[in-house]
Amino acid sequence: MSNLTSSINIAKIVRVVPRLRNIEALLLIFVLALNAFELAQIQLSTIEKVTTDLFLYWTPLAAFAGGIHMILRKYAREADSMILPIAVALNGLGLSEIYRLDLAQIASGGTELFAMKQVVWTCLALAAAAAVIIYVPTHLFLRRYVYIAMITGIALLLLPMLPFIGKTINGARLWIGLFGFTFQPGELAKIALTVFFAGYLVTRRESLAIVGRKVLGVQLPRARELGPILVIWAASLLVLVVQRDLGTSLLYFGLFIVMIYVATGRAIYVAVGLTMFITGALVASRIMDYVRGRFDSWLNPFDPAHYDAVGGSYQLVQGIFGMAHGGIFGTGLGGGVPQLVPLAESDFIIASLGEELGMAGLFAIFALYLLLVYRGVRIAFNHSDDFSKLLAVGLSFVIALQTFIVVGGVTRVVPLTGLTTPLLAAGGSSLIANWVILGLLLRISDSAGSKNRELLAETPTSVVNA
Amino acid sequence: MSELALWIVRTGFLAVLWIFIFAIISVIRSDLFGQKVVNKVASAKAPKVVSAPSTPNTLTGAIGGLATAAAASTPTAADANVVATKLVITEGDRKGHTVRLDRREITIGRSEDSDLIIDDEYASTHHAKLVQVNNDWLIQDLNSTNGTFLGGSRVGTPAVVKPNTPVRIGKTTFELKA
Repeated sequence: MSNLTSSINIAKIVRVVPRLRNIEALLLIFVLALNAFELAQIQLSTIEKVTTDLFLYWTPLAAFAGGIHMILRKYAREADSMILPIAVALNGLGLSEIYRLDLAQIASGGTELFAMKQVVWTCLALAAAAAVIIYVPTHLFLRRYVYIAMITGIALLLLPMLPFIGKTINGARLWIGLFGFTFQPGELAKIALTVFFAGYLVTRRESLAIVGRKVLGVQLPRARELGPILVIWAASLLVLVVQRDLGTSLLYFGLFIVMIYVATGRAIYVAVGLTMFITGALVASRIMDYVRGRFDSWLNPFDPAHYDAVGGSYQLVQGIFGMAHGGIFGTGLGGGVPQLVPLAESDFIIASLGEELGMAGLFAIFALYLLLVYRGVRIAFNHSDDFSKLLAVGLSFVIALQTFIVVGGVTRVVPLTGLTTPLLAAGGSSLIANWVILGLLLRISDSAGSKNRELLAETPTSVVNA
Repeated sequence: MSELALWIVRTGFLAVLWIFIFAIISVIRSDLFGQKVVNKVASAKAPKVVSAPSTPNTLTGAIGGLATAAAASTPTAADANVVATKLVITEGDRKGHTVRLDRREITIGRSEDSDLIIDDEYASTHHAKLVQVNNDWLIQDLNSTNGTFLGGSRVGTPAVVKPNTPVRIGKTTFELKA
């Protein structure tokens, strides 16, 4: 009796399937306990007692996160085990901080509350992610709709410019208003455009990688390959000019550059792209008042002229003061005064958390983002086909870039822009878009596992000789 | 609440937050470097499948694959013209294990989808592959960082691996046997 064969694989099937989901369950329990801790700490330090209100904010997230976990057990058993806990940790932390700002609002007699809205949006967003996991059988089918994705993306981008439904809030025309709801379609556009970029670059990567002439020791791409970059560059500048939003414009262009780099492995595209964008932005800062204002606030925020100006650096400086107040270990959740910063619950949630959790807490948050993006890139790495790789990298980089642009803006690394911090900030469109991205990443990671399983089914695992 | 209690809660929260991050990192770590455990599981749970070379069982199984029997009876066959049918690991963590060459291509590396997983800091994710061409097995180095050594010299272009010639990847050495 002998059954010699290549058999190392068997252990893989036995090991992988339940282990991932069990790890996820453990991490999720940890995260939900952490969320309860946050809410209890906030209540203790602001109203000095723990009330049942806590469950109003804790239970929905816990229930929906648990629901997604069960859905993954049924529909995507081999999906990544860390994405869900990390995302729930960030979402819960944001929710807690928004609740904390609400309590400060209530204490000062304000009526503009965000936490309950955020709870509702969180539930909707998690439901959207669940729908993606259940109804998208494999992400590869997205490849059939590459050009539809492009049209959808552009349409969503242009939607706020339409009369009647388009809305201008705080100077940026990024919203549509329907039946009293406001929504930022640009947030969903980033998913559609990532699908388009991935599909487009898969077909074009060969020619994009062809080396053109060599100038001053640098291999330049062929001139005709710069066409698409020019188109995207023009489109993102159009967003900058018409919608008056530096962040969105930087996000789309940055995403395209990153994906070109991943597809071709040529750093020259990054250099060319960055030069083009910086040139465009500098020209815009000369011509357009609003961009110039942003630049001035960024470079000289403490100058009284900018500090006192309408739309000047007041918000930015308050945020910096807040973070300075927090120091290294922070004032503790509920212990600071983050409500002094305008838009503390959305654009400046990072400054609020920086004040209350300190640098130690802020770095923990950045570490969570880093791990989230790492998992996304890891998923890309596990796939052997280019479309999956590019899509996973693109989706992860949307989160990474957006976090960088927002955090960089608040901490004065780059000019301040109007993007939301993924998963943390108050805002429904952003939550839904980011959870759909996470749902897609979970779906992609599962098919990497299933693909291995199919391959294993094809290869005989034992040769039976009587 | 007293100042002290608040301080403890505050510090405790930061500590728990960081513990969560390190919990995730430890999971990632075990995913990346935990291959050893898998190998132990493989050899413990499926000892019959991953068999040690020249175990008596292979001989006593009278109708067992002819090639296997032949290999077991002539473990040090110097005949370089016979077709290799299995790969035997002669040095390294998985010393003694065999992989049957029942395909046209055997991939070697650290990645989990390799046919021969080598868990070794000196091995690359996709390190090398063995390809069968007209009864010969060729080894091709897949641009590995630390190289593949055939009989002591580094493999550049794909080279024919004669049976019983040691091939070294990191700390693992294997030979092809008839």
